[in-house]
Amino acid sequence: MTLLTGTTSTPVQVRRQNPSPGAKIVKVLTTTDHKTIGLLYLTTSFFFFLAAGFMAMLMRAELARPGLQILSAEQYNQMFTLHGSIMMFLFAPPAAYGFTNYIMPLQIGAPDMSFPRLNAFSYWLYLFGGILVLAAFLTPQGAADFGWFAYTPLSDIIHSPSVGSDMWIVGLVTAGLGTILGGVNFVTTIITLRAPGMTMFRMPIFTWNMLVTSILALMAFPVLAAAWLALMADRHLGAHIYDPSNGGAILYQHLFWFFGHPEVYIVALPFFGVITEIIPVFSRKPVFGYKGLVFATIGIGALSMTVWAHHMFVTGAVLLPFFAFMSFLIAVPTGVKFFNWIGTMWRGQLTFETPMLFCVGFLVTFLLGGLTGVMLASPPIDFHVSDTYFVVAHFHYVLFGTVVFAFFAGVYYWFPKMTGRMMNDRLGKVHFWTLFIGFHLTFLVQHWLGDQGMPRRIADYRAADGFTTLNTISSIGAFVLGASTLPFIYNVWTSFTSGRRAVGDDPWGFGNSLEWATSCPPPRHNFVTMPRIRSERPAFDLHYPETAGRVDFHATPELG
Amino acid sequence: MSPTPQPARRSGLRLALVVAATALLSAGCDARHAYENAFGFGLPKPMTLQANRIYDTWLGSVAAATVVGLFVWGLIFYAVVRYRKSSDELPRQVRYNLPIEVLYTVVPFVIISVLFYYTAVNENFINNTKAKPDLTVDIVGFQWNWQFEYPKQQLQVTGTPTQPAVMVLPAGKRIRFVETSPDVIHSWFVPAFLFKRDVIPGRKNGFEVTIKKAAVGHTFIGRCAEFCGEKHSRMNFFVKVVSPADFDSYLTKLGQDPNAAIGSGTRGAIPTQPEYGVVPGTSGNSEGEGTSK
Repeated sequence: MTLLTGTTSTPVQVRRQNPSPGAKIVKVLTTTDHKTIGLLYLTTSFFFFLAAGFMAMLMRAELARPGLQILSAEQYNQMFTLHGSIMMFLFAPPAAYGFTNYIMPLQIGAPDMSFPRLNAFSYWLYLFGGILVLAAFLTPQGAADFGWFAYTPLSDIIHSPSVGSDMWIVGLVTAGLGTILGGVNFVTTIITLRAPGMTMFRMPIFTWNMLVTSILALMAFPVLAAAWLALMADRHLGAHIYDPSNGGAILYQHLFWFFGHPEVYIVALPFFGVITEIIPVFSRKPVFGYKGLVFATIGIGALSMTVWAHHMFVTGAVLLPFFAFMSFLIAVPTGVKFFNWIGTMWRGQLTFETPMLFCVGFLVTFLLGGLTGVMLASPPIDFHVSDTYFVVAHFHYVLFGTVVFAFFAGVYYWFPKMTGRMMNDRLGKVHFWTLFIGFHLTFLVQHWLGDQGMPRRIADYRAADGFTTLNTISSIGAFVLGASTLPFIYNVWTSFTSGRRAVGDDPWGFGNSLEWATSCPPPRHNFVTMPRIRSERPAFDLHYPETAGRVDFHATPELG
Repeated sequence: MSPTPQPARRSGLRLALVVAATALLSAGCDARHAYENAFGFGLPKPMTLQANRIYDTWLGSVAAATVVGLFVWGLIFYAVVRYRKSSDELPRQVRYNLPIEVLYTVVPFVIISVLFYYTAVNENFINNTKAKPDLTVDIVGFQWNWQFEYPKQQLQVTGTPTQPAVMVLPAGKRIRFVETSPDVIHSWFVPAFLFKRDVIPGRKNGFEVTIKKAAVGHTFIGRCAEFCGEKHSRMNFFVKVVSPADFDSYLTKLGQDPNAAIGSGTRGAIPTQPEYGVVPGTSGNSEGEGTSK
C-alpha cells in the first residue's frame, strides 16, 4: 500500500521483567485499567455465552422428537429460563460493555474511564451476580423455572418457592447494578474525557451508540431492579405489590416491559455500532450518512422507551393503536441504518476478511428479523403468532443476528488491537460459514412452526401435532451452530499464543477511528502521541493525509 | 346470513394482492388462491369471521415484507458482488447524498402508514363486542387445564392434563368469551381461530367470535400460549363446532349427565391419553380444510 504513510508508535514499557504468576493474578484482580477490565468483561461474557448455548442445545435435543427423552419438564423450564436470562443479562450487555471498555476510551482519545475504580466495581458486581444465578443449579430444587420474564403470580413464593428463584432475582439485580454503574461511567467518560478536537459530531458511531445505550440503561435498569426487589418483598416480606386482586399481574408486566423493550436496544445498539465501525474499513470508504445515522440511533433510543406494551398486545389490557403505531415507527430509523450500511458499501472496494464477512452475515440475517418485527407491530398478527415459535424465530433473528454476529465480527476486528496478533482468517471463515448455516437451519423453520400454532416454552409436543419434522431440522441446525464455536475457540487460543503479529498501528490498513492511531496493544494510558482530529475519521486522515480536509460530498471528484 | 362477508375480504390490502397476483399467478389458480399460497406460510385457514381479518392482515404484511426484503437483500448482494475490490485505488470518499437520504426516510414512513391503517381498521373489527351476544361462555384457565362454563345453563366442562376439556360451540352465532384465572397467567389459543387472549388472575378478559358454518363437524386443537408452570405443554383442549340445533341437544344431554362432557358421547373420536394431539382430519393447522367458499 503505497499510500500508507502512518507512523508506528512504540508502547512505553513500564512492566517489570517476568512477573511471577501470582503477581499477574493479583494485577488482574486489582486492575482499574479499562483495557484489562474490557478483556475481563469479554472473556466472562463469552463463558456465559457458552453456558447458555449449551442449555440451548439441551433444549433442542429434547425437542428434536416428541416425548421427553433427556430432560424432565422442570429441567426443561429451568433451561429456557436460564438460557434467556443469561443471554439477555450476562452475555449481551457485558459483551457490549467489554468492547466499550476497551475501545471507547481509545476512540475518543481518553487515557482511561472517568471512574476507573467504579468501572472495576461494575465488573465484579456482574461476575458475582452471574455466578449467583448459575450456582442455583447446585441447589436441591434447581434454578429458577418461571421464564426470563418472571411474570407474577408464577414467580411468587406460592408458585415458585425454590431458593434458586431467589438467587436468580438477587443475582440479576446485582449484575444489573453493575450495568447501571457502567452506564454512569460511559456517559461521564464520553461527555467529559474527549480529546481536544473530538467534538460530538466527530465521535465514531460505536461511541455514539454506546452513549445512547448507556442513557437507555440508566432509564430502564433501575425500573427493573426496583420491580424485582418489590418481587422479593412480595416473596419474603409479605408485601402485596403484585397481588393479582390489585391488578398486580398487569402491573408487573408493565414494569418488566418498560425495562424489557429498551433492553432489546441496549443489547442491539452497541452491536449496530460495531457493524458501523467495520463496514467502512473493509469498503475503504467513510460511513455513509454519518449524521443521519446518529439521529437514527437517537430516534431508535427515544422510540424504544415508548413501545413496551407491544409485548402485551394479547393481554387485552393495553391501548393497541398507540403502541402499534410507535412500534411501526421504529422501522423508519432502522431502515435508515440499513441504507447507511449499504450506502457505505456502494461503490467501495470491498474485501471480505472475517470481520466483514460477519457484518454481511449480520445484514442478511437481521433484515429478516426486522421484517418480521414490523409484522409483529400489528396487533391482529400478534393475536395469532404471539407466544409462538414465530416470535422465538423473530427475536433470534434480531438478537442472534445482531449480538452474536457482531460480537464475533468485533472479536476478529479488534483482536489485533487487543493482543498485537491477527486471528487466522481461514479458520475464521470456517467459523462464519458453519455458524451462518447452522443458525438459519435452526431458526428459519421455526417461523413455520409458530405459524402452525406451536407455542413457545413447551417441553414436549405430540407426534400427532405435526411439529416433528421441522423440530428435527431445527435441532440438527442447533448442533451445527453449537459446533461452529469450536473452530472459534481454537482460533482464539492459537492466535493468542502464536498468531501472526499485527503490522503497525492499523493492521487492516483503512481504520478510521482513533484506536487505529496507537500501538497494538496500546500503552497503559493509550496514546504516546495524539493525531490532529479534524473529522470523524482521524486515523484515516493521519494515514492518508492527501484526503484529509477534503469536502468529500458526492460532488467531490474521484480521488487517487 | 352468509358467514363470509366478501367485501371485507376483498378490501383487505388490495394493493398487496395486486402485487402478489401479478408476480405469482400460476396456471389454473385464481389470484386469491395464488396469493394465499404465496404468503400464507403455514397459517391455518381462518375459521371465524374475526380470523378472516387476521388472515388478510397477515397476507398483506407478508407480501409487503417480501417485496421490501427482496429489494434490500438485492441491494446487499448487488453491492457485495459488484463492488468487490478490483484495484488499489481508493474509491470516492462519498459521505452524504441528501436526496437519497430523504428518500429512504420518507418511503418507509409511507409503507408503515399503510400497514398501520389496515392494522387499526382490522383490530377494531376483531375487538368489537356487541351489547347482546347470542351466547356467553366462561373460560377458566388453571394449572393445568381448562374449565369451560355455559353460565346461562349453569353447565360446565372441566379438563385435566391427561383428559383435555372439550368446548362445544355452535357455528354462525356471535359468542362472547369471558376469561378468568384462579392461579397464574394462561393464554387461550385456538390456532384455527388465529386468535389468543391471555387469561389473567384478578382480571376479566372478554372477546367475541363468530364461527363460520363451514367449520361445522370439525374439531380444532386449542393450546395454552402463556408459560404457566410445569405442565404448560399439557394444557391442550378441543373446540368442537356443531350446528345450533346440535348445540342445543348437546346442552340438554350435558344437563342430564355431567359426565357427558368427558364421556364418549360428546368426545366422539377424540382419543384420551396418551395421544391427544389432533383428531384425524381436524387439526388446527390442516391444509385443504373447507374455507369460506
